[in-house]
Amino acid sequence: MAASEKETGLRYYLKREPLILAALSALAVLAFLGVSGLSRIYHAQQAALGNRWFTRGEADLKAHRYELAVNEFRTALLYSRDNYTYQFELAEALVGLKRTNEAYAYLINLWEQEPENGLVNLELARIAVQRGETEEALRHYHNAIYAIWPGDHEVQRQNARLELIEYLLSINAKTRAQAELIALAENLADDPSQHVRVGDLFGQAQDYEHALAEYRLSLKLDRHNPAALAGAGRAAFLLGRYDLAQRYLEAAVAANPDDTPSADLLKTTELVLKMDPFRRRISVAERHRMVIEAFAAAGERLKSCPAAGNLRGPVSSGAQESLTENWVKMKPEITVQGLRRNPDFVEAAMNLVFDIERQASAACGPPTGIDIALLLISKLHEGN
Amino acid sequence: MDGAPNSQTEILVETAQAEPVTSLPRWSRGALLRSVFREERLFLVLSVFIGIFSGLAVVCFRFAIDWCRIYLLGSGFTLSTTRMLLAPSLAGLIIAVLVIHVFPLARGSGVNQTKAALYIYNGYIPLRTAIGKFITAALAIGSGHSLGPEDPSLQIGASLASALGRRMKLSRDRMRLIAPVGAAAGLAAAFNAPISAVLFVIEEVIGRWTAGILGSVVLSAVSSVVVMRWFLGSESMFRIPPVQLERPSELIAYSILGVVGGFASVAFSSGIATLRPPCKALPRWTQYFQPAVAGLLIGIIALLGAPQVMGAGYVYIDEAMHGQFTWQMLAILAGLKIVATLLSFVTGTPGGMFAPTLFIGAMLGAAVCGAEHALLPHLSGSPGTYALVGMGVLFAGFLRAPMTSVFMVLEVSGNYSIILPVMVANTFSYLISRGLQPIPIFDVLTRQDGLDLPSTEEQREEGVLRVEDAMRPASDPVLDAEETLEHAVQGLDEKSPDVLLVRQNPTGWSIVTKQELEIMIKEGKGGEILSSVLAGRQVPYLHPDHPLEMALRYVDRWALVPVVNRADFRKLEGLVSEHDVLARYRDFGEG
Repeated sequence: MAASEKETGLRYYLKREPLILAALSALAVLAFLGVSGLSRIYHAQQAALGNRWFTRGEADLKAHRYELAVNEFRTALLYSRDNYTYQFELAEALVGLKRTNEAYAYLINLWEQEPENGLVNLELARIAVQRGETEEALRHYHNAIYAIWPGDHEVQRQNARLELIEYLLSINAKTRAQAELIALAENLADDPSQHVRVGDLFGQAQDYEHALAEYRLSLKLDRHNPAALAGAGRAAFLLGRYDLAQRYLEAAVAANPDDTPSADLLKTTELVLKMDPFRRRISVAERHRMVIEAFAAAGERLKSCPAAGNLRGPVSSGAQESLTENWVKMKPEITVQGLRRNPDFVEAAMNLVFDIERQASAACGPPTGIDIALLLISKLHEGN
Repeated sequence: MDGAPNSQTEILVETAQAEPVTSLPRWSRGALLRSVFREERLFLVLSVFIGIFSGLAVVCFRFAIDWCRIYLLGSGFTLSTTRMLLAPSLAGLIIAVLVIHVFPLARGSGVNQTKAALYIYNGYIPLRTAIGKFITAALAIGSGHSLGPEDPSLQIGASLASALGRRMKLSRDRMRLIAPVGAAAGLAAAFNAPISAVLFVIEEVIGRWTAGILGSVVLSAVSSVVVMRWFLGSESMFRIPPVQLERPSELIAYSILGVVGGFASVAFSSGIATLRPPCKALPRWTQYFQPAVAGLLIGIIALLGAPQVMGAGYVYIDEAMHGQFTWQMLAILAGLKIVATLLSFVTGTPGGMFAPTLFIGAMLGAAVCGAEHALLPHLSGSPGTYALVGMGVLFAGFLRAPMTSVFMVLEVSGNYSIILPVMVANTFSYLISRGLQPIPIFDVLTRQDGLDLPSTEEQREEGVLRVEDAMRPASDPVLDAEETLEHAVQGLDEKSPDVLLVRQNPTGWSIVTKQELEIMIKEGKGGEILSSVLAGRQVPYLHPDHPLEMALRYVDRWALVPVVNRADFRKLEGLVSEHDVLARYRDFGEG
């Protein structure tokens, strides 16, 4: 009995199976259409709300009202959770609030979605710099340099590289900075100010040859550019090319009389040129005058720095007496007649002067005036 | 022969052949088999429709919750004080009236109601329950009550499926199974995690793995997720930060999270178990105000600086994963969420426990991460990783669904490298929770409601009797099917048992009684070999590891059932008879 009842039930819907399936399909289509309509309304409302809050957030971010901006971007994200721009702006606002850990979490999420995004990589690099994670910072800076950027990507990449170079210089990684600078210099546009900036950075990286080259390129484009003239003068000075430095620095001071550092540097350069007895194409009398003047200046330096006077000359020179004793012993010979009688005293006297200046510089701190010039001359002829 | 049996042997053979088949006429049997086959096929197709309708319902449910939130709490991230206090309280009042007068079955989470439909009401869940659940849960969650949308979605799915099954006039067996099919669809759409939904329904609602239902559950879950993704996108629930486990030793750090999560689960479930009965026992008029008072208290918690406890809290889970809170704040939020959820749930506000469980787990996980990093800065796990593991930990400890907890984390994160920390932490949490709170929370709730539904955990741990527990050694003589009847009888004496086992060639077993042998010899068949006279009298055999209940299927029809080795079917391990099986059950019951 039970089996036959069951069979009747089965037959009931087996007969109607196609009809039922058709009815269900029709119902499903209708329901689908209904929910689609609702979904359109829902998504339009969500998008509008998200956009409204995002616009407010942007305005607050621009006005540096980070706290408000963070709340508004968060609200915008409620309505468009995976919106890339909203997340990025929220991270920016968090960075503004110095909540770098939170910003990092958002940025790393964005980075996972688009590892080639330049903006995200640059922000991540900055956060890594703040955290002191050098390798992470370098990785993201390099990603940013080769990333996809909105707008003028060449300029953005260049800026990213410049930022990287500044970071490398800040951590004293000069060799790496030089490598980046060389790469940067190859793609610079014909803009004198850019060449000056790169020249300055080469200078900071102590690559004065490249720095000078960059300043010269800048001067080719704008021969009266005061910054380029000053930079070239400084680079030439640091390279020990005082004649060249003098020319650039004179031009720099002429172009910008308020450029005090260049004026000071010019004075030192002129002193070096005036005091260097080993320069070519100077008369013997002038050479002797320079030696006598330098010897006298060294004597004054010894008086002002007695600590240096008690020291002996370099061990390599085999000196047994103190610098003061040597100076006193040599003094009678360092006259016009004495030097004319014995030209070898020129070199001996200058060697003693150089020793005195070096030791005094080490013992009593950096020199001033004529002593700087003598120290620079000593460096210039070091090893000769 | 003309079809009529002409000897006792033939009668025996014919009876033995007829035994396993039904007593229906031949034509009817075939029709029935075809029908059953077609019903199964129809059921599978119906599962897809159930998935579609459940998916659509869950999508609408999500819209409703969001609209309620926007209009009741405001569209901003920061809530105004007035809305914070008024929205959950006033919504609580409306919900109470609706639940008391219009939708009495909408109360609670919905998981137990679905289970009750399966075990008590033959799959019947009124459609009104789905409507009620939809309205009241959307109001509750949207207004800031600390509840989630997953369990209501599960019940909405089950209710829709039940309504559809009734319209289709499905058989009682199918009707019983249809509610879990809808439940899986609803949960999968709400969670955007079909595997976890299928596992949860099998672990917690059905309570056993059956091939008959698995296909339907999977189909409905998948189709509902497809529908949900169509409308709401395929993005996972949370944006998971990179997950990594640098050193295996860090598993110790995750096991600490498991321990903390285990204790938190116990605190949470004990709170519910303790507070729910007194709340239910309060005078009836108080039930109009209980959800409102709970809402007001939640509003006060929000006002005091923790608005994160309001609603499902997925946004804040996401924020915790991205390191937006200090570990102290995370720990406070976990504690306050437990309090807020207790308030909402014990007052009978409709809504689910899944989302709060995930919230508490995520906060606890990220808090443990922060605390551990403060002590051991070299640990590599991020707050996101710990939050994710924490969610699994609470799932395992509080909901006591260990398998679902692991797969849920994997599905939500899409990252398999997290599996080790999840498994380790979940195991600790599960063991602590089980040790301190022997009855799982869903079972506590059903018992408080006066129902006795089968507990999956109890079933899992119940002792199982096997054939080897009842079988006796094979000491009796075994006849060979190639022997002649006379030879076989010669080896027997008075001590030999009445029923004898015959080993067939090349495989198989038969039985024959001493009396039958004697009759056949008297009929002049003494020279025939046993296999020829016992043709077709195969006896089923068992293996020692078979459940003892399987033996019950045979022992009433065959006086002796051989128990054979799995590797060698001719090797006899023992014998069971009806008497042996019943004796073992009797001993087991007394023991």
